[in-house]
Amino acid sequence: MIGRMSAIAGIGATEFSKDSGRSELRLATEAVRAALDDAGLRPGDVSGLVTFTMDSNAEIAVARELGMGELSFLSRIGYGGGAACAVVQQAVLAVTAGLADVVVCYRALNERSGRRFGQAFASPDVDSGWHHPMGLATPGAMVAMVAQRYLHDYGASTDDFGRVTVAARRHAATNPYAWFHGRPITLDEHRASRWITEPLRLLDCCQESDGAVALVVTSLARARDLARPPAVIAAAAQGSGPDQYVMTSYYRDDVAALPEMGVVARQLWGQSGYGPEDVRTAVLYDHFTPYVLMQLEELGFCGRGEARHLIAGGGIELGGRLPVNPHGGQLGEAYIHGMNGIAEAVRQVRGTAVNQVPGDGPVLVTAGTGVPTSGLILAAA
Amino acid sequence: MITETAQRLKEAGETEPRAGRDPVNLPMIRTWLEAMGDANPAYERDRLAPPAMIQVWTMRGLGTVTPDDPLQVMSTVLEDAGYTAVVATDSEQNYHRYLRLGEEITVRSRLESVTGPKRTALGEGWFVTTVSTWFAGGEAVADMRFRILRYRPEPRGERPDVAPLRPVVTPDTAFFWAGVEAGELRIQRCGECRTLRHPPGPACPACGATKPEYAVASGTGRVHSFVVHHHPPIPGRRAPFVVALVDLTEGVRMIAEFRGPRPAIGDPVRVFFDDGLPVWRPDQPVLPTWELTATPTLIISTALATRDFQNVHHDRDAAVRLGGRDIFLNILSTTGLVQRYVTDWAGPEAVVHSIAIRLGTPCHAYDTLTFTGQVVEAGVVEVVGRTAAGVHVTGTVRVSS
Repeated sequence: MIGRMSAIAGIGATEFSKDSGRSELRLATEAVRAALDDAGLRPGDVSGLVTFTMDSNAEIAVARELGMGELSFLSRIGYGGGAACAVVQQAVLAVTAGLADVVVCYRALNERSGRRFGQAFASPDVDSGWHHPMGLATPGAMVAMVAQRYLHDYGASTDDFGRVTVAARRHAATNPYAWFHGRPITLDEHRASRWITEPLRLLDCCQESDGAVALVVTSLARARDLARPPAVIAAAAQGSGPDQYVMTSYYRDDVAALPEMGVVARQLWGQSGYGPEDVRTAVLYDHFTPYVLMQLEELGFCGRGEARHLIAGGGIELGGRLPVNPHGGQLGEAYIHGMNGIAEAVRQVRGTAVNQVPGDGPVLVTAGTGVPTSGLILAAA
Repeated sequence: MITETAQRLKEAGETEPRAGRDPVNLPMIRTWLEAMGDANPAYERDRLAPPAMIQVWTMRGLGTVTPDDPLQVMSTVLEDAGYTAVVATDSEQNYHRYLRLGEEITVRSRLESVTGPKRTALGEGWFVTTVSTWFAGGEAVADMRFRILRYRPEPRGERPDVAPLRPVVTPDTAFFWAGVEAGELRIQRCGECRTLRHPPGPACPACGATKPEYAVASGTGRVHSFVVHHHPPIPGRRAPFVVALVDLTEGVRMIAEFRGPRPAIGDPVRVFFDDGLPVWRPDQPVLPTWELTATPTLIISTALATRDFQNVHHDRDAAVRLGGRDIFLNILSTTGLVQRYVTDWAGPEAVVHSIAIRLGTPCHAYDTLTFTGQVVEAGVVEVVGRTAAGVHVTGTVRVSS
């Protein structure tokens, strides 16, 4: 088992913006250096690098810029934001197998000033050929198809989606690192925002951001001797469901479900020994609000179709039953493909978050939904 | 100047009644029916005018100026400001009753809105919307909301054309797209265990065989889910549009655009094929396809039969100078052809209550114009007229028999 064998020892990030004004490689370099500084390590200590297949920065390029020496572990994970926690799992596997001592996971992107994922584009991918030409060509539209069925199956309303954004923006409002710092919204503002793809409004969609995040993973034993208290990786899991597609898993019986997150959840609880009732706060991947509701259900925080009751009355806000995304999430802080959420989970474990959730329970983090995904449970040593 | 004039005209409200030049008369009706190729015998038999002729009765002749007409005043102001080219974009006509031979017709118009300047596919321009009401004696017999675009023509090739997203055809999927070309909706079927599957692939997930065959689907199904896409722009499509996930009767699901009134989950749909793609429609009767060639004779004779003397409808040099490829159909004629398409199907006893159309790509001389239509609910027919260059007209016709 890999649970509690390793830890996140350092986190680093650039500022989060709409136009970084510099290359993605420079963003990656800055974030990795910051993460190493945070851990009290030097570039020469690094023996492994892991990132997303979508990342434009070669591991060897990052290594060159930082003057790293020899590397013994290089790996990438696919499926967009679904990779976020899986890159950490790769690092855990390398560290626990003895293939590398210190592994840095990074993701750097100029997603607002460079290629914007939300726009339609011609893809040569065979699967997308069943959707893009038919006009279903953006992530928002692909999620909207699931969201419409979710509303129909469970009697939820678009206000329930809106409450997710209201919570995220409330949390971002008191996070100085968040793009939407100082800018909370009301449910009426969600209702008034324009349609992107019905039933999704603009305020159901995460931001587009420029920035980078890096995480330093090492063995728990080594982490105990480093600068920061270790965020123990109590569980790290990846998951893909039956008849899985990227954003368009419309061909299995239940469209309004995320069975791939169920695969992740079962492993997270199994590896860590925790259950949903133990979780202090959850950092749930929030590129689109409906998937936050569906994740709450797949992870077992409530029954199927009951997430709207959990989020009603501020249930996922600070002080609620299960505070979700205390940093503001990708709706409120920034869209760094889920990696900024892992950094937030580390801060929550350390007790250094700007919106610190009290208690000593573990923190759950998830990665991109609607795609093969991943998750982590982090806990104090 | 543009907004000031628009404001003044809007405040002026409805114009005084302006009389048509001739009473409703058989010679003009016959000329119109001949030009449209409309053989419906009911008009002459019952001494009635085709409803789509309503605008014709009060068209100005060649060179007549009506200084208080809001559309004409706005057009002059915009032309002086450099917006030299004009296309009609929308016409929504409601017919309270058919006009009878000998009736004297008047029209009153008001300016509803002037919006711009806007970036359009043709160039920068202003949309001018007017509302007209026709009277016979004191009785309102028809009304119309009419929109034109006055624009600065842009030389072709300045704008990068964004190509529509095309299917990805591989050896595993080619049978499906060949089916679309053949007008069939094909579902992959395992050659061993006969399991149906969509989207297709090289192997059968049920039995493992790599012997894919296909079945031809009935083309019917029910909406499992749908979205209404507004933003961002999708190449080749005009938002908002609907995409639906459909449970086919055969038991597999499939994504395609849905055309028709906003659907609900569970609604029955039927497939048809357009532009190399499957498209869902409400499962309602379909009109036979009508194909006609827009000969110069058709374009010019219908323009004159509708008393539209704009040079772009009969003078090729003028049309080209104003940025067109050739002369093109005027909106009154497109309205007439839409009416003919629906009444040819509905029969001579049908009564047309309204025709609302929106124009897209112009229908130029020598284009083949293909009409398709479908009943979307009782008494409501949706019509699409397409040329090789794209959708020329989409329209909704209300009709009773």
